[in-house]
Amino acid sequence: MGLQISNLNKTYSNGVQALKNVSLDIPSGMFGLLGPNGAGKSSLMRTLATLQQADSGTVTLGDIDVLNNKEQVRKILGYLPQEFGVYPKISSYNMLNHIASLKGVSNKAERKDLVESLLNKTNLWQFRNKSLGTYSGGMKQRFGIAQALIGDPKLIIVDEPTAGLDPAERVRFHNLLSEIGENTIVILSTHIVEDISNLCNNMAIICLGEVVAKGNPIVLTEGIKGRIWKKTIEKAELNNYQEEFQVISTYLKSGKTVIHVLSDNQPEASFQASTANLEDVYFSEITTRMNTVSA
Amino acid sequence: MFKEIFLFEIKYRLKRPATWAYFGILLVFGLIISISGDVPASEKTFVNSPVSIARMLSIISIFGIMLASAIMGVPVYRDIEHKTKNYYFSYPISEKGYILGRFLGSMSILFLITLGFHIGLIIGFEIGPYAGFTEAERFTSLNLWHYIQPTLVLCWTNFFFAGCIFFALVSLTKKVMLAYAGGAILFIIYLITLTLTQDIENKDLVSLLDPFALGTYSNIIRYWTPVEQNALTIPISGLLFWNRLLWVGIGLLAFLFTLFKFDFITFVNDNYKSKKRDKNLDESNPSAALTKVPKVTQVFSGKLSLNLLFSLAFMEFKNIIRDNFFKAILIAAVAFLLFDAFYGFPVYGTPSLPLTYYMLEVKDFNFVILIFVLIVFMTGEVLHRERTVNYNQIFGALPLSNRLVYASKFLALVMVSFVLVNMVLVSGVLTQIAKGYFNFEFDMYFIDLYLIEFPKYITFILLAFFVHSVVTKKFMGHVIAIAIWALLFALNSFVDVNNNLYLYGYAPRYVLSDMNGFGHFGTALFWFRTYWLACGFVLLVIGYMFWKRGTDSGRKARWQIAKERLNIKTVGTFSLLFIVFIASGAFINYNTKTVNKYRTVKQGILGQAEYEKQLNKYDQIAQPKVIDVKVNADLFPEKRSAKIKATYLMVNKSTEVIDSLHLLWGAEGLLKKEINTFTIDGEKPILGKRYDDFGYEIYAFDQPLKPNDTVKMILEVTGSYKGFPNEGMGSDIVYNGTFLNNDFFPSFGYNTGGELTSDKDRKKHDLPVKDYQLPDQNDVWGLSNLLFNNDADYVTFEGTVSTAPDQIAIMPGYLQKAWEENGRKYYTYKMEGELDFFYNISSANYNVHKEVWNGNSGETVNIEIFHHPSHTYNLDRFTKSVKHSLDYFSESYGPYQYRQMRILEFPRYASFAQSFPNTVPYSESFGWVGDFSDPEDIDYAYMVTAHEVAHQWWGHQITPSSTRGSNQISESMAEYSSLMVMKKEYGIDAMQKFLKRELDRYLRGRANESKFEKTLLDNDTQAYVWYQKGGLILYGLQDLIGERNLNNGFKAYMHAAKFREKAPFTTTTEWYDYIKSVTPDSMQYYLEDSFEKITLYSNKAIEATYKKLENDTYEVTIHVESKKEFFDGNGTQLGSSEQPNLLDIGIFENDGKNENGMTSKSPLMIKKEWIKSGKSKYTFITKKLPIKAGIDPYNKMIDLIPDDNLITISPAEE
Repeated sequence: MGLQISNLNKTYSNGVQALKNVSLDIPSGMFGLLGPNGAGKSSLMRTLATLQQADSGTVTLGDIDVLNNKEQVRKILGYLPQEFGVYPKISSYNMLNHIASLKGVSNKAERKDLVESLLNKTNLWQFRNKSLGTYSGGMKQRFGIAQALIGDPKLIIVDEPTAGLDPAERVRFHNLLSEIGENTIVILSTHIVEDISNLCNNMAIICLGEVVAKGNPIVLTEGIKGRIWKKTIEKAELNNYQEEFQVISTYLKSGKTVIHVLSDNQPEASFQASTANLEDVYFSEITTRMNTVSA
Repeated sequence: MFKEIFLFEIKYRLKRPATWAYFGILLVFGLIISISGDVPASEKTFVNSPVSIARMLSIISIFGIMLASAIMGVPVYRDIEHKTKNYYFSYPISEKGYILGRFLGSMSILFLITLGFHIGLIIGFEIGPYAGFTEAERFTSLNLWHYIQPTLVLCWTNFFFAGCIFFALVSLTKKVMLAYAGGAILFIIYLITLTLTQDIENKDLVSLLDPFALGTYSNIIRYWTPVEQNALTIPISGLLFWNRLLWVGIGLLAFLFTLFKFDFITFVNDNYKSKKRDKNLDESNPSAALTKVPKVTQVFSGKLSLNLLFSLAFMEFKNIIRDNFFKAILIAAVAFLLFDAFYGFPVYGTPSLPLTYYMLEVKDFNFVILIFVLIVFMTGEVLHRERTVNYNQIFGALPLSNRLVYASKFLALVMVSFVLVNMVLVSGVLTQIAKGYFNFEFDMYFIDLYLIEFPKYITFILLAFFVHSVVTKKFMGHVIAIAIWALLFALNSFVDVNNNLYLYGYAPRYVLSDMNGFGHFGTALFWFRTYWLACGFVLLVIGYMFWKRGTDSGRKARWQIAKERLNIKTVGTFSLLFIVFIASGAFINYNTKTVNKYRTVKQGILGQAEYEKQLNKYDQIAQPKVIDVKVNADLFPEKRSAKIKATYLMVNKSTEVIDSLHLLWGAEGLLKKEINTFTIDGEKPILGKRYDDFGYEIYAFDQPLKPNDTVKMILEVTGSYKGFPNEGMGSDIVYNGTFLNNDFFPSFGYNTGGELTSDKDRKKHDLPVKDYQLPDQNDVWGLSNLLFNNDADYVTFEGTVSTAPDQIAIMPGYLQKAWEENGRKYYTYKMEGELDFFYNISSANYNVHKEVWNGNSGETVNIEIFHHPSHTYNLDRFTKSVKHSLDYFSESYGPYQYRQMRILEFPRYASFAQSFPNTVPYSESFGWVGDFSDPEDIDYAYMVTAHEVAHQWWGHQITPSSTRGSNQISESMAEYSSLMVMKKEYGIDAMQKFLKRELDRYLRGRANESKFEKTLLDNDTQAYVWYQKGGLILYGLQDLIGERNLNNGFKAYMHAAKFREKAPFTTTTEWYDYIKSVTPDSMQYYLEDSFEKITLYSNKAIEATYKKLENDTYEVTIHVESKKEFFDGNGTQLGSSEQPNLLDIGIFENDGKNENGMTSKSPLMIKKEWIKSGKSKYTFITKKLPIKAGIDPYNKMIDLIPDDNLITISPAEE
């Protein structure tokens, strides 16, 4: 079962066009959605999660029309929003139990097994009786994935799940995601390139509401192989370089500014070849469009 | 730094749209009420008189609590809400500068906003005279001081005080909700003081404690006449000063406490006390992620949906009842129920027994206001529950149908309202237990609460639910929902829109009665509840379409969603509900308008004006007079109908030939009348002309009636009720407790009673202002007719009445025969001698309590009390009063004319007692269920019975002529008689309480006069003159000239004027002559002052000291001040009197108790002195230690400030 998105459009009442003709084919497995803040990732995710209307376009999941048959979608959906709250005075056990019953798990014994295994899986077993209000950010996020996994969902949507997590929590979270069955579509949105390269076989880069690149991360990286050049420069020179070359990113290394330039040939002798990675793909796609250089 | 923060706050606020929105709302509100002139002021005062402006400013400051909490709650909270606290306090600012700046900045803005109202008023009052809603002469010119003074004293002080409290609460607790809760608490304190004001004894306490000083203000101006109201601002002295000091002081203290207590560290840091984190337990367990999640079966069946519906609703229900705000308001609401139930139903300041219907009625006092608020707020919470905790995205993506979620939320609120109605039950039963009353009528509780009240709360929910579904901003939703209710209330209360068909949730008023239970109100309530529930559910369906699930709140998206949800099911439900709504509305309209002739207030006034314009030409035309009445009445209480045949023997007592009979049926009312038989001397008369709108018919006599000719009229009429009205008790014929009088039949000729009386209304409809309703004392027509009814002089009466087998029917006269026939009961009554033309027909399931009174001259009177079987509580008080009254009156005024005295009970659809010849009907809520266990409470059963029995002499033996002042001969005399019976029973020293009550009611009555105050000799409309002033003046007179002496005068008058056979009938001139004849020359000044003029004293004790003398006696020196002034009817001072007046000077020990346990004064010395105008000094010797002394200590005189007549005596300085 795959998810087909075609020509999806959405303009908010304030005039911002969040989605422009978005078309994607998403197969089973982990799919990464990469894009800067405000690119339209969350709009797309919320539309897929039945929480938002689209102006035009179609989305089908197997034979379900996602936009018009929300109730069907919700039965096989697991959703972890970018930001979410919990009832602070309820324990995670009770909350999961409650959500499980709302998701149609009506057999009590089954529900108990399910909740217990989810708590174990997400390493929350010790805290199952603590109120959710006392959870740390990482614990809350794990609770979030636990609730999304209830009911063997066919479509799992996780929106920027690792934002704000410390490195250890991130790893833990990645482990959880990677364990999700292969027959499931998992859509992971993030602005952290590493998340994608670690987890996903398929991805799309979305910028200003448009899909600007899609495919396998390795294939995408292949596409710019040998075209990335780097140079250490003085900060004051940056403007000159930007005018002259296609600077896709800059960063600081030991106090000096390093620039990456996209070019088929070595721009100047002072440039060194740099191994292309997914990050370069990402920056090369968005820098030109957004007219800014990520520093 | 303070300056910067202060100025920033002001600039910030000035840029906020909310500031100008509040300002604008107040401005518009001010404009509306000032241009329309629709202000709370009596007709004789300017709409922009200083008193009226002060009242408006004061009231607006009470409703401004909400404003104060909105403005003063946020300045500090803003830094929490926007998370700016995390860095803001890292700047080099001091706590005091911060607090002071934010506080003063916001307070300035608050004051600025309130000025919107002032500006609205000032502009509006300039436009008002040209706008034409209120007569131009009721606007006076602008005087800024009339705005500034009350603003400083009342309006801003209230805002300041409330603002300080809110500011302190939020700054110290960081919880903005407390500002709202604080607002509720203040409002509650205010409402409690309102309840306390019902008892005049609490006056001073209220003046001090009312946090908004509205009660204080009302107490200050309570006796102000229109002239004073138009000229004076309220003086800032006495209790008002202390009140302001108290509340501003509390506000200031709260602020200062905040100023010194507040520190950034506690403010910034969250409270971690409750959050213990066990960080160390959070060990990673790498294998955990591998845990297999078992396969589960998911079921999405209809049955499961139903289960889910209830479990979601129940969970939501638990969320609501756990909410602290909910708990706080609910506790307050229940506290009100208990408080109101405990103190709620005083009559004359005396509590009533905690009957079930009283316990139920408190729900409409203060409770319902809080329920409104609670329902609106809780509905908002419920609909925003997921959004508030940011759980909406997860929740929105769960496989729950929209209907299920929406319905579960609604259901949860229905459960909450079920809890709310049960609060009434709990508090009712608790109050009854606390008061030692154990007759719990649970059936009455259940029917009223579950079948009538519960659906009403559901209609409240439906509206709030609709608003909160459509409006996605919670606060906005609250504002709109509350504004809708406020608008409905305002339309109903101020704009005279009273058609319940157009006021959401409204239904006709109903009254519970022990005698008649829920009576006949069920049908109307059923239809109105159905109608509004259908309307509410229609709204619910509309709300469903626009209800926001998901995250998209754009207009386009919501229309899209609405279209999606508009499927066949929704349309079907909607149509069905809409049909029920329209159909029930049409049915109601048919009943109220077509069948029962609903008229708007305006149409009613217009009808009265037209009545006068078209029919006034028939005023005072000669008509025959009834001399003998025979009644044959068949009452069918179970059908609420009656068939009554009256046979009137009528004589032309005039000197003219009468050619036609004019019958005035009156405009069609709720009781539908059908004429079965109508003959005059056996012939069916021919209708000459009929005025349909007024039920006025003119029939020509076959042979014109020459003077002294007699005819016999037979009229048989069936009266019954049809359908149900928009409002109205329809209580003439009910299942149990029918109470009809001669109004069942038409009266003869034009009756001035149906005219408009208000000057304002008359001017508006081009009718001349009418100062008097009755002609003067020398008017021939007036002298030839009796006051209460000009269709007859005295008549003879007999009749038969039949009723349902379980009821007793009563008519005037003595029971001749009683029998049962065809399963009905029959009673024949015949009156001996004559009675004025005023008879009643009553029927109910009665128990009869019988006693006998034996007079001094061997006469006996049967006392019979017809009462509801369970109302046996105060029978002894009625009988005792009847006996004491008969004792006193037969001795003082002459013999009682009948051999029986009957008191009967009728349902509480009206609440009065009325004296018919030998029969006094008493409303169910009047005396029968009073709680007289505390002897200090006024035994009004005793008091009023004495008054009504006195009417057997004053009213029924002497029935005065239809001329000005005549009401004094019946009412002032009855009131005086009642005071005298009480004086005999309680002793002269216990009378002050009663006299002061009379005085208070008189002074308030004249202050609210809408025309001009009339004198005792001329008054024909003013109850406060004929009851209160009359009673006081006559009591004062007997005290001056001697009780026996005055009563001898009355006895002589009674002898001369009773049952006067023909005109001219008696007038106040004759009455006054008898009074003058027994008054010595030295006291004639009192008569002139009291009967011919409007005279007010200002007597005051200034200082009193005592010195102990050697022979163990005490020399008391009293300084008093006396002033006597004359006023015209408008309250303008005409001059003062320099001549000395005979007044009491008294010296007292501490108050004691009389035999009845009432507080009673203990005089050491009381003496009448001729006291000159101005200050004087008196010295007396007493044998015991004196405590208090004063002038006119019993308040016998009409004194503008009755409270300063007595003063505590202090030892003299040597």
